[in-house]
Amino acid sequence: MSNYFYVSPEQLIKDRAEFAQKGIARGRAIVATIYDVGIVLVAENQSASLNKISEIYDRIAFAGVGKYNEFDRLREAGIRWADSTGFTYSREDVDVRALANYYAQHLGDMFTEGPKPLEVEILVAQLGGSVRPTKLYRVAYEGTIADEPHFAVVGGDADAIRAHLAESEQEVHDLATTLRNAVAALAGPDREISVPDLEVAVLEDRGGRRTFLRLTDEQVAELLGP
Amino acid sequence: MGLPLFSAAEDPGPNFVRFAEVSGLLTTPEQAIDAPHATTVVALRYGDGVVMVGDRQATAGYIASRDVRKIEAADAYTAIAISGSAARGMEFIRLAQLSFEHYQKMTDADLTLEGKANYLSPIVQRNNLSSPLVVVPLLAGWDPTRREGRIFEYDGAGGCYERRDFATIGSGTPFAESALRLGFRTELTREEALDLAALAIYEAGDNDPSTGGPDFVRGIFPMVVTIDAAGFAELPTDDVRARYEAINERRTQAQGIAGGTLR
Repeated sequence: MSNYFYVSPEQLIKDRAEFAQKGIARGRAIVATIYDVGIVLVAENQSASLNKISEIYDRIAFAGVGKYNEFDRLREAGIRWADSTGFTYSREDVDVRALANYYAQHLGDMFTEGPKPLEVEILVAQLGGSVRPTKLYRVAYEGTIADEPHFAVVGGDADAIRAHLAESEQEVHDLATTLRNAVAALAGPDREISVPDLEVAVLEDRGGRRTFLRLTDEQVAELLGP
Repeated sequence: MGLPLFSAAEDPGPNFVRFAEVSGLLTTPEQAIDAPHATTVVALRYGDGVVMVGDRQATAGYIASRDVRKIEAADAYTAIAISGSAARGMEFIRLAQLSFEHYQKMTDADLTLEGKANYLSPIVQRNNLSSPLVVVPLLAGWDPTRREGRIFEYDGAGGCYERRDFATIGSGTPFAESALRLGFRTELTREEALDLAALAIYEAGDNDPSTGGPDFVRGIFPMVVTIDAAGFAELPTDDVRARYEAINERRTQAQGIAGGTLR
């Protein structure tokens, strides 16, 4: 006969939160910042093929930190949700707030009821247009959702990066300045991140329907300057 | 609909149609419905790509519409055309467009042209075996690895066949195909291919009651597109109008007799 031990709800939540935080803190952070004509997403990523940043829909991008298999499944679910919503209604009816809420619900459910909390944090960005506003949402491992007005940070060491950006991003800049600030914040005071270790994508109107664009190493190097 | 999450074993992967079926987004009708039908599109290879021309008429015992677009860009380098039920055809085009983009977003890679062609086969089959011959598509595109235009045609059961010359779909096929058979040469120039394809649709419009020819009164002309290394492009109406005015003028000079117009 097995023995069951009483664990208080406070202790259970605390343990689960600690478990998830530990997993997320191991991963490098991701920054998304609004610039004058778009949104730039910047991640430190040694892999050139296992992406952390991805296109969800015409004006929506996704970024995830933590366990790759967990956030990649959420990314796929987001694309499926967006494509089927656009197919059922219209492309203009796909809104990032609904998507962020679904992510929050799922992460919240997994945190309280799942076999283990998901060790991920999600960032979704929407480039505003004639119908919808520009939005940045951050969804934490336990389902907390935050609406960020100018920049959002997820992942390990997010507080220090946020403090750094609060200083450098007091106003909206152009893409080059915004990218430099984001990379400086990700690197911190004591190190530099080389261009091949950066994964950068933007949401920007280029005359077409889709706005997501991955920047190549050459483009990133040119924007960062010498 | 909530967040569509799947276990690894049940995951439909980057295939949008499979996902749509699993999630109940797509339903297959039990039998054919008598609804407007769209007709006659030709695709023709030339030296640097593919030309596609389609008439604009939808028929349901009467002329249901005079300005249907039967050719659409499935993505930047692929065009898809439909004949048969207009309703199912439009859905078919939307599904194809969405599926190619869905695959690209899910996998961060483009489908090859052959991959796109094969992907459509089961959709044609699903459409047509439950409700006989509702939609027959035509796929044409620029193959960036082979650096040439390619055409894929389908039979009603979903069989996919690559054509090295030209392909025709819809009720005007006998007339359009005859014009193409007489006028086609390998290594046509873009201009020659455009004129020949435009003439093929003119002949279909002249002889087939369901195919619409150029409508000078309303200013509605067959849709003319090219797909080459620069991608999908639709010819402006003025350019198309000039081509059909030239054909019409020749035909008027010949007092309406078709012979001799193929030069």
